[in-house]
Amino acid sequence: MTDYFIPRSAELSLCFSEPLFLQDVNDRWSLQHPQLYCPGQKNQYFNKKAFASCVMHSCYSSLILFFIPWAAMRDTVRDDGKDIANYQSFALLTQTCLLIVVFTQLCLDTYYWSAVNHFFVWGSIAAYFAITFTMYSNGMFYIFTSTFPFVGTARNSLNQPNVWLTIFLSSLLCILPVVAFRFILIQLRPTINDKVRYKMRKEVLPAPAPRRLLRRRSTRSGYAFSHSQGYGELITSQNFLMKRPLKRASLFPQTDSPIFQNQPQHYLDHQQIKKLTDSMNGGLSLLLKRRVAILVT
Amino acid sequence: DVKSYRKVQEDDDADGARVGGNEKFTNRPDNTAFTQQRLPAWQPILSAGIVIPGFVLIGLAFIGVGVALFVTSRSIQVLERDYTGDESGTPCASCANSNVQNCICTLNITVETLFKGPVFFYYGLSNYFQNYRRYGTSKDDNQLYGVLNPSDNCAPYAYNSNNQPIVPCGSIANSMFNDTFKLYQTVNGTRQEVSLDGKGIAWWTDYNIKYRNPTNNPLKDAFNGSNSGLFYRNFLINPIYWSKPAYELDTSDPSNNGFVNQDFLVWMRRAALPDFRKLYRRISQDKYPDGLPAGNYSLEITYNYRVYRFSGKKKVVFSNVSWMGGKNEFLGIAYLVVGSMCVFMSIVMLIVYAKFKFPDEE
Repeated sequence: MTDYFIPRSAELSLCFSEPLFLQDVNDRWSLQHPQLYCPGQKNQYFNKKAFASCVMHSCYSSLILFFIPWAAMRDTVRDDGKDIANYQSFALLTQTCLLIVVFTQLCLDTYYWSAVNHFFVWGSIAAYFAITFTMYSNGMFYIFTSTFPFVGTARNSLNQPNVWLTIFLSSLLCILPVVAFRFILIQLRPTINDKVRYKMRKEVLPAPAPRRLLRRRSTRSGYAFSHSQGYGELITSQNFLMKRPLKRASLFPQTDSPIFQNQPQHYLDHQQIKKLTDSMNGGLSLLLKRRVAILVT
Repeated sequence: DVKSYRKVQEDDDADGARVGGNEKFTNRPDNTAFTQQRLPAWQPILSAGIVIPGFVLIGLAFIGVGVALFVTSRSIQVLERDYTGDESGTPCASCANSNVQNCICTLNITVETLFKGPVFFYYGLSNYFQNYRRYGTSKDDNQLYGVLNPSDNCAPYAYNSNNQPIVPCGSIANSMFNDTFKLYQTVNGTRQEVSLDGKGIAWWTDYNIKYRNPTNNPLKDAFNGSNSGLFYRNFLINPIYWSKPAYELDTSDPSNNGFVNQDFLVWMRRAALPDFRKLYRRISQDKYPDGLPAGNYSLEITYNYRVYRFSGKKKVVFSNVSWMGGKNEFLGIAYLVVGSMCVFMSIVMLIVYAKFKFPDEE
């Protein structure tokens, strides 16, 4: 019935927004682990076997989503004795079970939870309940009487504990097998994605506090300095005379933690690394000579 | 070439399309965290430390809830009696076979232990498909809200053979259940009537918001076509299967008459499944505050509703309720089963994790 259409939009907004904002392993990890591209080349995620398992999972979910509410609503009534096994309440119950299963499945499949993902997921669930209660409210019924005949259904059925218990049961019965299956598969047959994610996580967790980057005004990356100022400014300003450890330019000027990246990463090839070390050596030897000269005088 | 390389560098570090005259980079997306998919993000993975304790916790919680549900369901008392009369020798067989209007038959009921109150009295129908789509759309919500002309949804129950509008129109209203019941307790050989309370048996949103009588007072005037807002001039007549018109459904109580009659509302809220029960009355708690005491009762049924043609069955149900509603053992058993399976799966996953923990090297 047309009543189902608008709550579906909450679900659709989630389904369409999720892929737009999905992150993945970043470019550094992708370069370090080119095997990540193999599953795509071998068509491992979109083939007949994947489709068949998807169909089986869908059949299982569909059976659960109908028969659990059916069995829970047979011959039962509300806690004040009134009707709950009517067509509209049953429809609302099945619809809510379905949407919660879809949301939970999408949460399971979302590997990178940025602020945008949080907004869309929780916003979609809130939108579904808001739209449902609005559609089944008195106001909409008064304005469009025959279009919204479900008036009162949400208020009279969603305040029953056995309705919510049915919703929890059916959603967990659909989701827990997926979680268990994925966990066991990660342990027994980890794919390259799982291994890389595990490594990224291990690297991120014990990462030290972010170092203050040596920010130059021109926001150039580290390897560019050999083409411009170099250590000239440092030496002439005599800052090196103060008792502070000299900051060595690092090969990778930004931290590796994915959380703190906000600049493009630039990587050095062989010649650039050689130039860098040569200029460093040149600068350092000049520094040492200068220091010795000052000490002597 | 150092110069061109530096120029590329300058363009590279400037943001977005604000590049001095280099058209190669006008379509480049902005170098912000949002557009370059570098927003700070939480990256959960299914680690053993979360999944296995999670399964154990969920399993134990489900087992706890399942036990509570099962115990509660067991404590609910239900008494059912079939009175279809489809076979000879069963109660009301005489009424089922005769075509007499308002045939009265009696059902003897014995209550063994105190039936704790509040006791609800339902009538049940089997093999009755109120969820059939053509049946379900055959009603007019506008009419039941006070605008009395029937809509086309109600066809063929919108106008009768004389082209008079039917109020309330449609198949659902036409098939309204019309058996009536009276309950008597046999005390010392005499019959004492058990008073039944029919107030507020439908949803409050139904009789306060969804259904409304026409504003004429008395209600009968709305049905003689004299209301100037209506375009027809005929009498509005009752549905074909009804024995009395809508404004005579309960003449003793105007708030229970017409479209807001509680029995009518209960019937109009159509059932989802082919075996259903609908609330008829409550045992009023004036004389029986604790519920129905043990003893013999006789139920006097006015048998009007014919179900023989579609092999339907009729029954009466006495039931009390709890926080989880009526008696339904499925939820308790399902929770117990799922909880045990969760605990079992967590043990399996623990074994798998302990034996096959995947190695750190590539």
